[in-house]
Amino acid sequence: MSTTIIPSAPQTSTAFGDLQTPHTKSWQRFLRVFLGRKVVIFGAVIIAILIFVALTADWITPYDPYQQNLRESLKPPSSAHWLGTDALGRDTLSRIIYGTRTSLAVGVNSVGLAALIGMTLGLLAGYLGGWISTLIMRCVDALMAIPPLMLALAIGAALGGGLNNVIISLGISLIPTYVRLMRGQVLAVKQSDYIKASEIIGSSDLRTMLAHVLPNCLSPLIVLITLNLGVAIIAEAGLSFVGLGITPPGAAWGSMVNDGYRYLLSNPILSFAPGFCVMLVVLAFNLVGDGLRDALDPRLRGTL
Amino acid sequence: MDHLLEVRNLTTQFKMDNATVHAVDGVSYHVDAGEIISVVGESGCGKSASQLSILQLIPTPPGKIVGGQVFFDGADLLQFKSDSEPMRAVRGGKIGMIFQEPMTSLNPVLTIGRQIVESLMLHLKMDAGTARARAIELLQVIGIPDAEQRIDHYPHQFSGGMRQRAMIAMAVCCNPKLLIADEATTALDVTTQAQLLELLREMVHRLNMALVIVTHNLGIVARYAQRIYVMYAGRIVESGTAKEIFGDPRHPYTVGLLKSVPRLDEPKGAQLVPIPGLPPSLTQATTACAFYPRCARRVDACQRDAFPSLTQINGQHYVACHLPVTQPSVTASPVVMPTSENKRAVSDETLLNVQQLKMYFPVTKGLLRRKVADLKAVDDISFAIQRGETLGLVGESGCGKTTVGRCLLRLYRPVSGEIHFEGRDIALLSKSQVRSIRHKMQLIFQDPYSSLDPRQSAGDIVGEPLKVHRLVKSKGAYRDRVAELFQMVGLDPNLADRVPHEFSGGQRQRIGIARALATNPSFIVCDEPISALDVSIQAQIVNLLDELQDRLGLTYLFIGHDLSVVRHISDRVAVMYLGRIVEMTDCESLYANPLHPYTRALLSAVPIPDPFVEEKRGQVILLKGEVPSLLNPPTGCNFHQRCPIATAECRQAVPPLRDAGANHHVACFHWGGL
Repeated sequence: MSTTIIPSAPQTSTAFGDLQTPHTKSWQRFLRVFLGRKVVIFGAVIIAILIFVALTADWITPYDPYQQNLRESLKPPSSAHWLGTDALGRDTLSRIIYGTRTSLAVGVNSVGLAALIGMTLGLLAGYLGGWISTLIMRCVDALMAIPPLMLALAIGAALGGGLNNVIISLGISLIPTYVRLMRGQVLAVKQSDYIKASEIIGSSDLRTMLAHVLPNCLSPLIVLITLNLGVAIIAEAGLSFVGLGITPPGAAWGSMVNDGYRYLLSNPILSFAPGFCVMLVVLAFNLVGDGLRDALDPRLRGTL
Repeated sequence: MDHLLEVRNLTTQFKMDNATVHAVDGVSYHVDAGEIISVVGESGCGKSASQLSILQLIPTPPGKIVGGQVFFDGADLLQFKSDSEPMRAVRGGKIGMIFQEPMTSLNPVLTIGRQIVESLMLHLKMDAGTARARAIELLQVIGIPDAEQRIDHYPHQFSGGMRQRAMIAMAVCCNPKLLIADEATTALDVTTQAQLLELLREMVHRLNMALVIVTHNLGIVARYAQRIYVMYAGRIVESGTAKEIFGDPRHPYTVGLLKSVPRLDEPKGAQLVPIPGLPPSLTQATTACAFYPRCARRVDACQRDAFPSLTQINGQHYVACHLPVTQPSVTASPVVMPTSENKRAVSDETLLNVQQLKMYFPVTKGLLRRKVADLKAVDDISFAIQRGETLGLVGESGCGKTTVGRCLLRLYRPVSGEIHFEGRDIALLSKSQVRSIRHKMQLIFQDPYSSLDPRQSAGDIVGEPLKVHRLVKSKGAYRDRVAELFQMVGLDPNLADRVPHEFSGGQRQRIGIARALATNPSFIVCDEPISALDVSIQAQIVNLLDELQDRLGLTYLFIGHDLSVVRHISDRVAVMYLGRIVEMTDCESLYANPLHPYTRALLSAVPIPDPFVEEKRGQVILLKGEVPSLLNPPTGCNFHQRCPIATAECRQAVPPLRDAGANHHVACFHWGGL
């Protein structure tokens, strides 16, 4: 009697998923989510323009950024000089355009260096634990005890000025936050059963670390990276101020903000224009970073 | 109003970004003073949302009580604003509520006493001294030893069961007329669960309160509830007295639920009948019967006509189904398969032989991580598993059963002992040596949400072991094997490039099982593989495990705390208590003739989903106190402090696991009776 109502072949027919969301390939979804938001496109366009400007600086500048003309010094914006001139009579717009090169190079490279080293150390410390973790974390604590700019100054003083040394000294001073954030993430992710599962199926530590731990730790680090870009660009000004950064007459946004500071009341545009550029870069990288984080997060599938 | 609480046509919705969730859809029920009723259903069916709506505790927005009336003590509660004076007087004052998570429902920075006193002073306008005295009295009533001292303790100093007792004390401190227990015992062990439910039942009788038990556990319902409301997809589909519902279930969903849970009193070999498919998402307002896609007895009218209204069958028995009311129901218990006699042949070959396994975790203190003690999670355990057999390992949380499983898989390196697997001692192998045997033994995890890497696609998850062990030669072979594994666990191979997030809990568990099967293992540890799943899905997974064992000749170690499920799937069962095996025998004799007093108490604490059987079972054996800490285990027999038959001998010596005849082993001095 009772057998008449048993649904037939429950095992094979029941579990076939009636998933609610239509399926797209992962790269299609990536593009759809990433480009689906107007602010993200806005950020991406700004970054594209800045990169274009940096690459073509030699051709698109109206004046030579290093050409001094003391008779034309401290001119307000005009049709000849769109953003005016500085104390030495150099065209501000041309200097900003050239500065894009330096500032982007400093920002991207120093943060990239810090993120690469910091995340590697954090991953090792968090995953391996034990004395390796103790060693790495105590070194990081020591680095953190010194204010970042002081640290960069000290390293800069040891290495000397110049673009590459600015990148290195800023990069090192930014490492501690990455190590700490990464280690915290790793410790949390390591608790997940899927890390145990990876061990159970026989994966090596290296495979587990790179294939499972690392990708699941990235979200907050992407945010940190985008925030740090602005920090690095501004910090370059501090280094330049004491003569350890970009040596004059080289143009960089940070040092331009610094140079214009003395004329803040009479010619505010000298500081504001490069300052606005820094803001634009930080904003653009932030927007793109957020878009990237969400587009790469599979947990948001279905909602985005 | 003649009922204490009468809910009429309550409708609650949650407005999400792009959809409206119809969480509670026209629910009506009532409770009388001194009555215990139960609201049953699977997760997401609206049973908690309906209770929270009564108290207007729904987060607004996104939630909103759209319509209905809630008459409590003669007044319609819904006419009051959520934060109005009369509503606040009702909450905590006249209606008490106990939540599921004792960890999060108590404030961790206030003492237990402060939290009770606060409520007493607020609702009963007591002064601080009287309130404190009353709080101590309450804690004593609720069964907390040394209440005078314990009242000044913080929640983290209480065990889970103690915390839930404190929650009950808080809920009843203002003499409420109605108590709502929302999955209040779900997170607790069976023996603690039995203690607390007995306590609640006694309080209901003594104080003439009404109690609403919200649960998914049909056994609890059968044992305690007088009347039952079965909910599905935000609506009540059947209601009646416990005997009406269990004796003569009419709604196909109720019948399905009863058929999908294993029962302790059923003959072994019964096959569970899962409800196919998945519960519906409540985002679409369905006008027709929501159970239609999963219904075994559907007719065309079900899809065409409006949702059936509750129709009286007889007495208090109502059902919302298009099937004729006169049509008798079918037997609502798991079906006994006649073929299951000659099921699988357990071979004579010993696959796994564990001897004197010990796993201690060092407890360290201070900056230099000085070792101060050993936490003896597994203390001298020996057992063997034949090829093709399922050994069940039961015990309450913290008894070391998961640790045993992880030692066998060599996720932990045991302190001492031998683990002979396929004739080779793997207990002390080095990490790289272990890697070479990994493909032979696998693990199925408890939590299908955290055991799958959220950033991998389902196909990559299942296929990873193939790559790690280089089991496939070409890309084509890889794809074929992954597809084969998907089919083996009842998943559509076309879903391979979706990520875990897109699957339901049951489907995720299937992915986990497919991953475990990828390397053709001979031995699988199932670590509570179904306890995180809904009742109707549990049966699907249990049947799948059974079927895979038959087909692939697998050997299981099935770890669980649900004795009915363990009994259903296992050939032999070992019962653990505080790191030791106290009883081990084949399934039949353990349940028919338990020898160890702990096993007896455990079995007695498990409610059977049948009020007729429950009535005859008599008094539950309640254990005294709580499970002792592993850091400070009792001397002699671990169980002697809670044992009803302990003697001086038990306090001094550890009883060995002795043969009590017919392959029945028990670690008790008095198993033959005193």
